[in-house]
Amino acid sequence: MKRIMIDDSKCDGCKNCSAACMQAHREPAGSIYDLDMSDPKNETRNHILADGKGGYRPIFCRHCTLPECAMSCMSGALNKEKDTGLVRYDEKKCGACFMCVMNCPYGVLKPDTLTRTKVIKCDFCLEADSEPSCVKNCPKKAIWVQEVQA
Amino acid sequence: MNNCFGCNTCKSADKPLEAFIASLPLETSHHRVESQRTKCGFGLQGVCCRLCSNGPCRITPDAPRGICGANADTIVTRNFLRAVAAGSGCYIHVVENTALNLKNTARAKGPIKGEKALERLCQLFDISGSSLYEKAEKAADAVISDLYKPEYVQMELVEKLAYKPRFEKWKELGILPGGAKSEVFRGVVKCSTNLNSDPVDMLVDCLRLGISTGLYGLVLTNLLNDVLLGEPELRFAPVGLRVINPDYINIMITGHQHSMFTDLQERLIQPEAVAKAKAVGAKGFKLVGCTCVGQDLQLRGSHYTEIFDGHAGNNYTSEAILATGAIDAVLSEFNCTLPGIEPICEELKIKQICLDSVAKKANAELMEFPFTERAHQGELIIDKIVEAYAARRGALNLDFSQANAEWKPLIDALMGAYKSIHKDVPLNLLPDHGNDNTLTGVSEVSLKAFLGGKWKPLIDLIAAGEIKGLAGVVGCSNLTAGGHDVLSVELTKELIAKDILVLTAGCSSGGIENCGLMTPEAAQMAGPKLRAVCEKLGIPPVLNFGPCLAIGRLEIVASEMAEELGVDLPQLPLVLSAAQWLEEQALADGAYGLALGLPLHLGLPPFITGSKVAVKVLTEDMKQLTGGQLIINSDAKESAELLEKIILEKRSALNI
Repeated sequence: MKRIMIDDSKCDGCKNCSAACMQAHREPAGSIYDLDMSDPKNETRNHILADGKGGYRPIFCRHCTLPECAMSCMSGALNKEKDTGLVRYDEKKCGACFMCVMNCPYGVLKPDTLTRTKVIKCDFCLEADSEPSCVKNCPKKAIWVQEVQA
Repeated sequence: MNNCFGCNTCKSADKPLEAFIASLPLETSHHRVESQRTKCGFGLQGVCCRLCSNGPCRITPDAPRGICGANADTIVTRNFLRAVAAGSGCYIHVVENTALNLKNTARAKGPIKGEKALERLCQLFDISGSSLYEKAEKAADAVISDLYKPEYVQMELVEKLAYKPRFEKWKELGILPGGAKSEVFRGVVKCSTNLNSDPVDMLVDCLRLGISTGLYGLVLTNLLNDVLLGEPELRFAPVGLRVINPDYINIMITGHQHSMFTDLQERLIQPEAVAKAKAVGAKGFKLVGCTCVGQDLQLRGSHYTEIFDGHAGNNYTSEAILATGAIDAVLSEFNCTLPGIEPICEELKIKQICLDSVAKKANAELMEFPFTERAHQGELIIDKIVEAYAARRGALNLDFSQANAEWKPLIDALMGAYKSIHKDVPLNLLPDHGNDNTLTGVSEVSLKAFLGGKWKPLIDLIAAGEIKGLAGVVGCSNLTAGGHDVLSVELTKELIAKDILVLTAGCSSGGIENCGLMTPEAAQMAGPKLRAVCEKLGIPPVLNFGPCLAIGRLEIVASEMAEELGVDLPQLPLVLSAAQWLEEQALADGAYGLALGLPLHLGLPPFITGSKVAVKVLTEDMKQLTGGQLIINSDAKESAELLEKIILEKRSALNI
């Protein structure tokens, strides 16, 4: 399976990964120029934290080998796909209990800001042609996709 | 040697040039597009602020305000006003130097090539005088005194230069500019840290800057240059890399201040200078046009046939021109002189000389010349260029055929030793690039004269629908809107196919002409009606007004036509497109277009889309204010359709 790998020493905190993620998941579709940067509907599925020492910690979904989110999901909305190894989220099945949010060891999952009825979760940009948007748009190549053991 | 350096160059509308650049053993800007492909989304939208040390702050859903509290509208319009003010400053610098050159030339009783142009200026400015020189000095002074007025004193020539209904509109809107330099000052101050936060107020300032940029930086620079350098005359001229003649010492010129070269270009054809060239094995000197200063020389080329070989290409063709190996020196004086030419000049031992410190290049020797020092400084420049030629291409050109046979072995040995040490820079010419018959020399005066001294024939053609309307495709060339000149050229093709006559000015001209659209044969690419008009008149469907400064000439054409029709500018079936705008100067030009009330198309957004207010004001509300409107679209076909629709709307409003 594929996983987004991170070299935090290369991250400049430019947040281009976040802008790219917002752009990849916005509705309706459009160009990066007309993405509404201040609309809470356009949430990013990744984020960058400052480490307090001048460095940055890019936080991306790991699609973990043993995903705590999926294991704690009672409604079956979160599942680790056998063939791709990706942890997928089905909004229709979600009961908004947010056990996944509490259990994610990386703090990457979050309830959506506006309605608090669903989870904001990385989908690896499966609809996009090649690699996730965040990876494509990182100018420092601090994140990349790598094949790992499921 | 001819190995591909990365094979990763961007597309160009000019296919032979694209192949040439891809084959170069040097890195050019065309190679770097790929490695700069990832763009910052916040930067693209203009919602990144780094005015203070709290920043950079960026607008996101979690952070809709910067630390100081500035929202997206404030951040975007502050950035935009900064850009427009800087762009305006550049053009005002150009007109200031041009006026000073005219003043100094008049004082020194130097050559005044455009007497008719001077008469026209005097009439426009209400100036009288007993001699040519007195009038020229007064005209130059009139411009300079306006430029130096404070921001709270309105410039006097605005009313004389502007089309009357426009002047009235600007007065009504309260956007008549004060002294042009002070306007730049005010713009810069206004958008500094924690001063203005009102997006609309800052956009209004952009309009004021647009007016001062347009009337002074554009319109007047042309009129002053016409006096100094001679007026454009219609003629056919060669364009593209073919203009480079390796038998000569070739000097590539880049920039926007043509009047800086007047003395030097006369000096370069004097027998003493030619003798210096011959002594190192060249036939003499040639200027090779590049960027807008090349366009301007080409426009007036009929006055400079001996020294000027032709226009080789625009800003993003300059590296290819240098890579031919046949350029011995670059004389630069203003923008569009890419920093990327520096390593190429170093590699190919090309001498870089800069004539204006505002555009000092890292490699270049700065040789500003005060007017009184021009003779001495000119000679010094010539000597340095000759020296560069000798070092680059100066294989000894001596005739030993008459030498005593006894000395022959020694001479051969010495020559052999010399040749083993001295390696000429290899030539890599592209002699078939471009074409030989691009129509040039188009100006508001020469075009009107061609039409029989009045605009009526053109107006009649438009009224009869033979020409659907006019489109000015102006401004820069960049490498990102589809590739080098791709959008400009494709849009132009789409427009002429719709029977819309295209007028061009700026680096866009350089690309469009190298692609052959300014030759009479290009009429075949026009729609049936425009094609018939072009074939009847023997003209191409795209008329080249020369440098970006000549956007001012397009405005004169439009104003004169509007006057003849008794309408205001926004009513004309006329649209503008700076499809591949590149620089801040283009944004100041664009602000002028909007102040004139014209629809202005841009291929790429000017980093404003992060602000709803800026987008709404520029794309919608402007129609009610000045009549202008901004249209952003990067697709050639869609853009042409949008522009055609506007032209058709304006036609039906005029009942034609």
